[in-house]
Amino acid sequence: MISLSASNSQNSTHAAHALAVSVQNVGLTYTTSIDKRPTLKARLKSLGRGKKHTKVINALSEVNFDVHYGTVLGVIGSNGAGKSSLMRVISGIIPPSEGRVEVHGSVSTLLALGVGFNPSMTGRANVYLGGLAAGMSRAEIDQQFEEIVDFSELGDAIDAPMRTYSSGMYARLAFSVAATVQPDILIVDEALSTGDAHFKEKSLNRIKELRTADRALILVSHAMATIEDVCNEVAWLHKGKLIARGNPAEVIKQYREFTNTGKSSAANEDV
Amino acid sequence: MSAPVAVYEPFRAGLPPLGAYLRALWARRSFIAEFSRSELREQNYGSVFGQLWLVLNPLLLSGVYFLLIYIIGGQSDSTRYGHLTASLFLFYLVSNSLTGGVKSITAGQRLILNTAFPRIMLPISAMVIALFKFVPTLAVFFVMRTFLGLTYSWQMFWAIPVILVALLMGLGMAILISCINVYFRDIASFLPYMTRSLLYLSPILYQASDLSNKLKSFEIANPIFYLLDAWSQVMVYAQSPDLFSLLHSLVWALAIFIIGTYFFLSRERDFAVRL
Repeated sequence: MISLSASNSQNSTHAAHALAVSVQNVGLTYTTSIDKRPTLKARLKSLGRGKKHTKVINALSEVNFDVHYGTVLGVIGSNGAGKSSLMRVISGIIPPSEGRVEVHGSVSTLLALGVGFNPSMTGRANVYLGGLAAGMSRAEIDQQFEEIVDFSELGDAIDAPMRTYSSGMYARLAFSVAATVQPDILIVDEALSTGDAHFKEKSLNRIKELRTADRALILVSHAMATIEDVCNEVAWLHKGKLIARGNPAEVIKQYREFTNTGKSSAANEDV
Repeated sequence: MSAPVAVYEPFRAGLPPLGAYLRALWARRSFIAEFSRSELREQNYGSVFGQLWLVLNPLLLSGVYFLLIYIIGGQSDSTRYGHLTASLFLFYLVSNSLTGGVKSITAGQRLILNTAFPRIMLPISAMVIALFKFVPTLAVFFVMRTFLGLTYSWQMFWAIPVILVALLMGLGMAILISCINVYFRDIASFLPYMTRSLLYLSPILYQASDLSNKLKSFEIANPIFYLLDAWSQVMVYAQSPDLFSLLHSLVWALAIFIIGTYFFLSRERDFAVRL
């Protein structure tokens, strides 16, 4: 289980270049329903007609890589390449169907959705619930709550129900939570591209601050400029396979040649 | 370098390691408390009577049903009113677990897709919320039964095991139905009809002793029939419950809990890809 509560005691113990995450031969195949909202009615209606209700998705296959402390790994790839699935496997949210993942340290995830699982509750309640679910103690959240609210620039809105939030406010709060808890390993999935220009820059700076020798960062993004700027390694996923890994400039160049987008302004717009 | 903190390996059908699972669950007990509190606060936030509504609502319901049986059946003795109210309150403990539990997983989508935690926390919270709603009604009932002039006796301590069985039943039902709802989302819309039928099939508007033996033998299939019967014997008549009633409800509660939990635990790693 992922435990954030271990983060404080372990923060200083990870030597630079020690192994943070080891992904060994990982494959992920899962069965999911074809309907967005599977119902008993649909199932009964199609009884005996041999209609399929589930599909098998090969999200990842034979992915191998290690992330060491002090590394900032950027993960790139087109939509549906398996980036988010890989992040969920590393965070322990979805178990792999093949291979093995080892995580040495506490993990904080900021996957595509962020905090706020109950929109009718206030931002404050959601932050507490998210933190408690991730295994933090109330005291730990109390300690960091002010900083989270400050960073998110939400002000009094923190006590308003989250359904009243704009998508930017949502994203700001989510980013603030993940970036404030100071985990050993921080996984950020496409969360840097939300919010206005001001907050974007602020979160980018925060990421840069978090790049210390005793921490490992994994960033998933389509913003190549950001990846090139922040990361010291890049992994490129395509259709669930690891195509290339290494120097950011080189891998991004290969990826651009592959997708033929070059440096066209449209592809580079969302940074 | 220390040993790996966490290792994730292939999904195997069947149960996760229970020891580790329970430890992770125990470590997050404050989530359950916080969630229940926030949820209750939020549910009654906008209404005029606020938290008082938790007591008023079942009280009004029992009044309405009493009017109903008085008009239809012409029975108006205080024991009957006590029976109706007590039974309705316990029924709501079970049915609130069900209605709260059914969407607990599907509504927790964001949390499930973003955080690794024992998913069973969510239906457990639904049961805890139902319990929080039940406790004030219990106090109301004690005041009411004093006014109605019902006698008290030491046998009423049997209420404790009966409540425990009801909680186990509610928990099992919440766990089972939350899991089923992931696979068949229309269960949630079907649920009100199910609970309504359960209400009429259970000894609430009538007493278990009113039924013929033949009808009663069908009621073995109703998980809460004998639970409510035992509850009425204890709370209204201040007697010890029949051993059969107690055992029947315990067996049902255990069966639902064990089946529900097994089903849930063996499926929960699947939830993130099904939502």
